[in-house]
Amino acid sequence: MIRQADTPVIGRVVATEQLPASPHQFFFWSATESEVGIGAIVRVDGTGDRTVFGVVIDAKAYSDLAEPMHDVIAAHGDPAATNGMTQRREIRLWTAAVLRQMPEEPLQPVPLSVVTLATPDDVKFALRMESYTDGDSPTGVPIGVYVSGGLRAPVYVDADFLLGPESAHLNITGVSGLATKTSAVEFALRCLFDHFPTAKGRVAALCFNVKGADLCFLDQAAALGPSDLEMYELLDVKPQSFDTVRYFAPFKSDGVNLNTLRSHQDLVSQVEPLVWGLREVLDYHEVLLNRDDLDAKAAAFIDFLRDRVVEKDFRDDWGGQHRITTFAELDRLFKAIFDGLEAQGRSDSWRTHHIATIRKVRNRLINISLRCKGLVTDDGVSNDLPFGEFVDRGVYVIDVAGMDQLAQDLVFTRVVSQLRERLERRDLGVEHIVVFVDELNKYAPSDGPETYVRKMLLDIAERGRYLGLVLFSAQQFRSQVHRRIVGNAGTSAFGRMDMDELSTPGYQVLSPATKIKLATLPKGEIMIRHPHFTQPVFLRFPRPPVLTGPEGLAKFPPAAEVSLEDAVVQQLRALDPAIERHAVQDAVVGRTEEVVRRALLATRRSAPTNVLRYFKAALGARVQREVIDDSQSSVAPLQSVQDPYAP
Amino acid sequence: MTGMPPSPESAFGEASPVEGDVICALPISDALEVPETVGFCDGIQRFTVEGWIGVCPVVRASVSAAVLVRQERSLHPVASESHEFLVAPLDALDPAAVETLRSTGFPLYDVGASDRRHPTVDVRRAVQLVRQRRLACEVEVALRFRDRFPDAWLVVDGGLRGYEQLRGQSRLLGVIKSHETQYLAGRDLEVALTLPAGHRTSVFERRAAAETAVHSWYVRLWEWEGRELLYGLLRLERPAGKDVVREAGAVSQWIFAERVPLSGDNRRWDRFLYPVYQVESYLRARAGGWS
Repeated sequence: MIRQADTPVIGRVVATEQLPASPHQFFFWSATESEVGIGAIVRVDGTGDRTVFGVVIDAKAYSDLAEPMHDVIAAHGDPAATNGMTQRREIRLWTAAVLRQMPEEPLQPVPLSVVTLATPDDVKFALRMESYTDGDSPTGVPIGVYVSGGLRAPVYVDADFLLGPESAHLNITGVSGLATKTSAVEFALRCLFDHFPTAKGRVAALCFNVKGADLCFLDQAAALGPSDLEMYELLDVKPQSFDTVRYFAPFKSDGVNLNTLRSHQDLVSQVEPLVWGLREVLDYHEVLLNRDDLDAKAAAFIDFLRDRVVEKDFRDDWGGQHRITTFAELDRLFKAIFDGLEAQGRSDSWRTHHIATIRKVRNRLINISLRCKGLVTDDGVSNDLPFGEFVDRGVYVIDVAGMDQLAQDLVFTRVVSQLRERLERRDLGVEHIVVFVDELNKYAPSDGPETYVRKMLLDIAERGRYLGLVLFSAQQFRSQVHRRIVGNAGTSAFGRMDMDELSTPGYQVLSPATKIKLATLPKGEIMIRHPHFTQPVFLRFPRPPVLTGPEGLAKFPPAAEVSLEDAVVQQLRALDPAIERHAVQDAVVGRTEEVVRRALLATRRSAPTNVLRYFKAALGARVQREVIDDSQSSVAPLQSVQDPYAP
Repeated sequence: MTGMPPSPESAFGEASPVEGDVICALPISDALEVPETVGFCDGIQRFTVEGWIGVCPVVRASVSAAVLVRQERSLHPVASESHEFLVAPLDALDPAAVETLRSTGFPLYDVGASDRRHPTVDVRRAVQLVRQRRLACEVEVALRFRDRFPDAWLVVDGGLRGYEQLRGQSRLLGVIKSHETQYLAGRDLEVALTLPAGHRTSVFERRAAAETAVHSWYVRLWEWEGRELLYGLLRLERPAGKDVVREAGAVSQWIFAERVPLSGDNRRWDRFLYPVYQVESYLRARAGGWS
């Protein structure tokens, strides 16, 4: 830790009785024109072998003017008057919080010595990064570049503290529209994928696109400027979009157009429909049915259906044989029960379940496919995320931006539950999965009613790190997010902040100058807290290597909604560009929309070699129209009878 | 009035008008021409009776002086000097005591011989010697400044008494703010001490037997009415020369402009030029605590 001789001295530690140097804080002055600023990391070398690193957290400037009135007197009350021929003495007095002392024991006050700006090596030691970036199995993941004066130093976080098991999760706070939150997460994922140690296992990311087209273009490379590329090079991160990205979106209520802004004809083929059927829904019925809907009796009946009926060969009490896999088939069972009970006379229960309970459950369940139309299919084939087949460094995006709250609840709950269960069983396909959720103010507010989304997010935040289930989250107002979610985030980043937010108690540990810096942070700059850093550090990060939502929409404008027939042609051509429109038209003519939709989904899901043949097969055999001879079509006249009322 | 009244022996001097026949008040109306490079010289002294050997005081003293040069409105130190020493009535001490004092490592000065010992008088003589040492220190740094900036103005705090080595330099200006010695009398004195702000007196020559001639005049920086008589009043001194009268207006305008910025929390800010105040602050900061 020998200070480089050519490192210029920029200040000198001062200590008075009123402003003493302590083991955690010290003061130093600098020249009026100096490269030091709020957030700068500095180094103090004592007379012995003691070296102290600190980060500047506050600053004051004052002159030897005894009182403001003296300036008024000198200027004769004219603010525009000359300042005199001699410039007043000024001081720049900086307050620095200690990042690290070397040696760490015994812990002593900061020596009253000269101050230098930290070199890249100093930054590494100041932030304790050498403990996880050096050695045989480094776990450092770059997160940004520390910039001060002309110095640029890469800053790494510890993968063990970002993805667990030591601590985990990343939470980002910042006002909207300043390219902070989403960009920072996209860049962090790029860094993670490039630097996560192979020995730690495979990692993938599952992103919920909750608004607009924020995450709809992660596979589209952005044009990066020279300064961005320099940062990528310094951090040894590939300036490339993600290699493996899969998009999932539910259908719109028409059942053919995908409910996503990634609907440009060049891209829509890479969006897979997210469609769930009875089984997927029934396992999470409590999400969709509120307490009024779901009393104990109804819950018992649903459990009965789930355990004994669905996807099993089931015989009703009236000779009917059922194998229920869809809502439509379930509804047929209900009808059979009602008809059977009615035929029996006054019986009002079936297998101990009261008919009123059965009717209530039927109404609520059948209604789900209507309430979540597009996501939940009535009688179609489900199309789910590739649970069990997640690939290393893969990104999976679920576009829930266009869904209503109920459907979003179902998606969050089921997906997170599936991830957790798969990770517990070690059959997700990867050992670590990063779940990114933006807008926590909406999905996990500190107040308001309990929702399943919030429950799921809490579950990830509190127990996920043991499983490899990691939450990357973002919001505008950290103070208004559930405390246990942000509190469990081992790493926190802060972009430009609103002053009202900064005045809340959670930010009392920050100095006024740090708050001002946070309130005026430019794009691409964040303050980061990490378990290895004893103080927050300001970092810059390059623009992410992928198109932002607005850029993507400008380059790939969303397509207009298309008719069922056009949708079928487009989607089949995505599988086989040689398919001709008339062939599709011939195949679907006379078919019901439900049949066509089901066949299309099945074809997409199977991605067969001969697409058109598979599609036609999925449509099923055509029922031939019965042609009736005209001569036989007329009804034979009644034989003449004596009609007393005939005219 | 500020400060203690001067002793009658040092309260009066002789003077004769140089600019006109009588002392008159003149408005400062010349165009402002501030020299690009100006040195400001001042010194400080500290002393304490460190102990007694019999009835003889042992005074420990520290003197220092510095010149700060002003260029482009900023002040920078260019010369500084400091000394710490002991003063005692050596002839009254036995050789062993003197040797003990010398063994401290500090230079040792004698207050001077005397037939009878008077502790208070000895202390007063010691203080007088300290003042002489301070003046010598100031002259030392002034000479060094002159070596580096031969054509620049040098402003010294106080009169030019003791600056004989620099008398050949015309760009030497003494700024007196204590007014312990009055060289004018009668109507001339009244004109000088009741100058309105922004005025100067005509130039006069003050006389002192042991010195070469010095030209002097008064300048009022701030309105005094409603305050004390000497409020904002300075007396300037320059080595006598043919240009002094001609340049008196311009120099007065320059010094008048030096009244801003004010001199911090100094109680004499109405007369204390800010750069001189800075020299004093610099010296006190360097001197540190008195231990």
